[in-house]
Amino acid sequence: MSGGAATAGLVADPRPRREDPRLLTGQGSYVADVRLPGMLEAAFVRSPLAHARIRAVDTDAARAAPGVIAVLTGADLSDVEPFPDLRERTRPVRQRALCIDRVRYVGAPLAVVVAEDRYLAEDAAELVDADLEELPVVADMDAALAPGAPLLYDDWPDDRIVATAPVDPELDAIFETHQVVRGTYRMQRHTAMPMETRGVVATVERGRLLVWTSTQVPHVVRTVIARTLGLPEHRIRVVAGDVGGGFGSKLHVYPEEVVIPALAWRLRRPVRWIEDRREHFLASSHARHQRHDLEAAVDERGDIVAVRGDLVCDVGSGEILPPGVAPAFVSAGSITGPYRFPRSQARLTCVVTNKTPSGAYRGFGTPEIVFALERLLERVARETGQDPVELRRRHLIRPEDLPYETPNGRRIDSGSHLEAFERAVAWAETTRERLAPTARGSIGVGYANYIEGVSPNYHATSGLWAQQETSTLRIEPDGTVVVASGLGPMGQGTETMLATLASQLLGVPHDQVEVRLGDTDLSPYGLGSFGSRSTVVAAGAVQLAAGRLLDKVRTIAGHLLEASATDIELVDGRARVVGSPDRSVGLAEVAHLAYFRTFDLPPGTEPGLEATGAYEQPGVDHRPNAQGKLNICLTYANSTHACVVDVDRATGVVRLLAHLAVHDAGLLLNPQVVDGQIMGGVAQGIGGALYEQLLHDADGQPLVTSFMDYLVPGAPEVPELTIDHLSTPSTTTPFGLKGAGEAGATGVPAAIANAVCDALRDTGIDITQTPITPSSIRAALRATPDPTTTEGS
Amino acid sequence: MRCGGRAARPAWTGCWWGEDVVKPAPFRYLRPTSLDEALDALATLGDEAKPIAGGQSLVPMLNFRLARPGVLIDLGRIPALTGVHRTDGSLRIGAMTRQRVLELDQDIADRLPVLRAALRHVGHVQIRTRGTIGGSLAHADAAAELPALALALDATVEVASVAGTRTVAAADLFLGPWTTCLAPDELLTRVDVPLAWQRAAIVELARRHGDFALAGVVGARRPATTDDAGIRLVGFGVGWTPVRLTEAEAALAAGGSAEVVADAAAAGIDPIDDIHADAAWRRDGLRALVTRIADQLGVAA
Repeated sequence: MSGGAATAGLVADPRPRREDPRLLTGQGSYVADVRLPGMLEAAFVRSPLAHARIRAVDTDAARAAPGVIAVLTGADLSDVEPFPDLRERTRPVRQRALCIDRVRYVGAPLAVVVAEDRYLAEDAAELVDADLEELPVVADMDAALAPGAPLLYDDWPDDRIVATAPVDPELDAIFETHQVVRGTYRMQRHTAMPMETRGVVATVERGRLLVWTSTQVPHVVRTVIARTLGLPEHRIRVVAGDVGGGFGSKLHVYPEEVVIPALAWRLRRPVRWIEDRREHFLASSHARHQRHDLEAAVDERGDIVAVRGDLVCDVGSGEILPPGVAPAFVSAGSITGPYRFPRSQARLTCVVTNKTPSGAYRGFGTPEIVFALERLLERVARETGQDPVELRRRHLIRPEDLPYETPNGRRIDSGSHLEAFERAVAWAETTRERLAPTARGSIGVGYANYIEGVSPNYHATSGLWAQQETSTLRIEPDGTVVVASGLGPMGQGTETMLATLASQLLGVPHDQVEVRLGDTDLSPYGLGSFGSRSTVVAAGAVQLAAGRLLDKVRTIAGHLLEASATDIELVDGRARVVGSPDRSVGLAEVAHLAYFRTFDLPPGTEPGLEATGAYEQPGVDHRPNAQGKLNICLTYANSTHACVVDVDRATGVVRLLAHLAVHDAGLLLNPQVVDGQIMGGVAQGIGGALYEQLLHDADGQPLVTSFMDYLVPGAPEVPELTIDHLSTPSTTTPFGLKGAGEAGATGVPAAIANAVCDALRDTGIDITQTPITPSSIRAALRATPDPTTTEGS
Repeated sequence: MRCGGRAARPAWTGCWWGEDVVKPAPFRYLRPTSLDEALDALATLGDEAKPIAGGQSLVPMLNFRLARPGVLIDLGRIPALTGVHRTDGSLRIGAMTRQRVLELDQDIADRLPVLRAALRHVGHVQIRTRGTIGGSLAHADAAAELPALALALDATVEVASVAGTRTVAAADLFLGPWTTCLAPDELLTRVDVPLAWQRAAIVELARRHGDFALAGVVGARRPATTDDAGIRLVGFGVGWTPVRLTEAEAALAAGGSAEVVADAAAAGIDPIDDIHADAAWRRDGLRALVTRIADQLGVAA
């Protein structure tokens, strides 16, 4: 990129988020805020059974109900194309927007009622009579793996949607000749609970389909609508507006995002559907339901020379785009964590069951494997008589190892893996001492070390998106700046981030920059927000666009100032001659020339001041190489979590006393925003560790469909939280930036489980499963006679 | 304002969140302004009607369409049902008195501090601001604090119908989960709480702050009489109703050790299994809580 002081680098800018005044004073605009004249409301009829053949859906009574405009079934929408099955080596599910011949989970959409208002739509929805022939239910992963299991997809030989079978005789030999430590670890089904549920409003405007939806990926939604409805993309506009949380659940494209536009297109009237919370429990993606059989081969010095795992993921019915198998691939690929284990192998089986499809949730497969691996390390330490802290210390990636390639091909360019851990150990020891007097029960300390992939090439796991991101910068005639991007923010401060990038990379004041997001008519095609990528890829794209735009500004300003373009720099909104700051012109004067006095432009200069940059990240693989290695992300942030807990042995109640997140995301463009990301992530991690679970009975009926039973942690459940930033720049990303969107959630279950076991270390209790509940701890203690428990607390 | 498209739809059901998607099945809505008017309506409508107090349990059930009353009778505009009448020996609390009002009442805090302590466990401030004491008792959730407190403190409730009024002891009120001895045409109008208790305390364990109890205990103590040792221990969240732990009371009165009392309590319940705690845990939890409360009552080691 060409010179100019302002483009040399980025500096931290801890300003308050520019979106907050709007969001915190009720001025945000969410899907439910969209009100259109003549708008109709939709309600979905959802399957009450987990697995059934659809014999018929009788809509006569519903059609005759008051205020009903239309009732459509899957058969009525048979001209809507199935969602594309894009991932190779994954069995196709041919998902339909409305089910046609089969329902595979409770909540699957059977029909939709459109009425004058939601009450009438709900009243009529109750009158839709679905004749369902019950089929045997595959209720869990064991049932799905059993020989002769009932099939969810009749043309599949079994219920495995994905099955990998890596072969490595050398690795097998290592396990035959070494001490092997084994464990089976389970994480429960739980998921994102954004404050704003999903919702879609669609209307036809001047022959075009206009769709508001609460999504992280507006352009991808547009593409899917175009493919399923057979409309050209340029006749569809998707607007995301403000999004009240997504956490991964809104990077999927859902049936309602196709059905509501299809209804608006047919009826030529605005149609609205707002997901209620019960629907969110039934019809938005679930996540994290995995079981890992892990093994470590340990040599005579106590070093781990290899790890291998047999990972099973229950992806529910599998009817989701992009496919729910993707996080499980990340689990498998993260099996060595930040540790120098020379060899590894992960066998992955994803099975379909009669439950809500699972998909993405903050951490994307990483919390599951970190929980399993960190618990296995504790077991290795115990079975080989080592100090678990020392065991970790000896195996963590050291500065001299970098860049380091993991056995399965992750190329870790940078990081502070050992330093982060040492800081956590120091904190934990002093914090344990400080808090010991306040403990009512037994106090314990736990750690988790991990790396978090940043900016994935999502094609490898989803078959859909690769990794590009595009930004457009425009200087308006008055010198103000617009930056437009296809990112799909969901509350994480993306507007502030983009304004900061544009401001610093162009050399204009922050408040002179306006940000356009979440509207496919206003933004260049982008892949949206996911995978801790937004800041990194936006920086790449804005850097390219700013370079191009600056070149033009310099040419015009040089012409005005009678100086060489190469001697012009843009500082604080003024173009000036390097070394002669009194010779300058404002950006408005440059823009005036570019737009109005175009006859005064230097010869050969096009009018206008606009440039687009599209960033494709280098060095990231989109499929495994011949050795099965895959570098899936542009860089890898590292983190260590530690926590101090107080366990009441009489009741099994765990009190979190303090939690630490040491986090290294390279250059922090806005440390306040990163802090917010980590705090929110830790709260969600606590939910997964202790509270949240989506349970089903043997018939596949969900047992948890409201916040009465799904326990999201509130402020009282989140302990004193310390965030300690390290800052090791990446060598592979623009400006050394790394991502921070997911890492907060990832280490929490492992750290809490380790701390609880530490508190109860005299009992030898070995937690292998989340959530850790009072019942599960008491059950373990009852099974482990211990003299200290008999007195109560 | 467009709140449902049908005139019979009460304005407020659709409008708590603006004009949004709160969506019970159709019902008629009455808002009497006197007790007689309410009782007349109940007498006429019987099973078809459902009284609504603070709505903190009923409204979610309406919106899930699990409760589908034909007529909702809103008790919120009946002045006679609100307020606290104080005598030397008791508090007479109108059924529609908001929990938050009782929580903030300094006189009650001085004379019956366990009531404030119990209310602090009831949901969150927003819930207590709408929730009423009578609504909680009539709803009869086995894991709720106020029914257990009423039972432990020998409270009585006044029940009215067009036929007249009767007084029901808390011990006779709770028949089963969400079930009381009230007939469909009867209304719980008042709670009388005796102030004879020298000490009373409440402890509970919930998954999160503000949740229903996984297990809880109310303990109370007053001077013994010839036929009453003056000790009450009531468990909640551990059965289908709040449960008098009579054997534990006896053990406590006999000066039994905390462990003996706790074992007696755990033996005296038939706890339920649910997704938040299993039955074995509920015994363990109750045992731990009884140990604590015995301590607070100052009658056991």
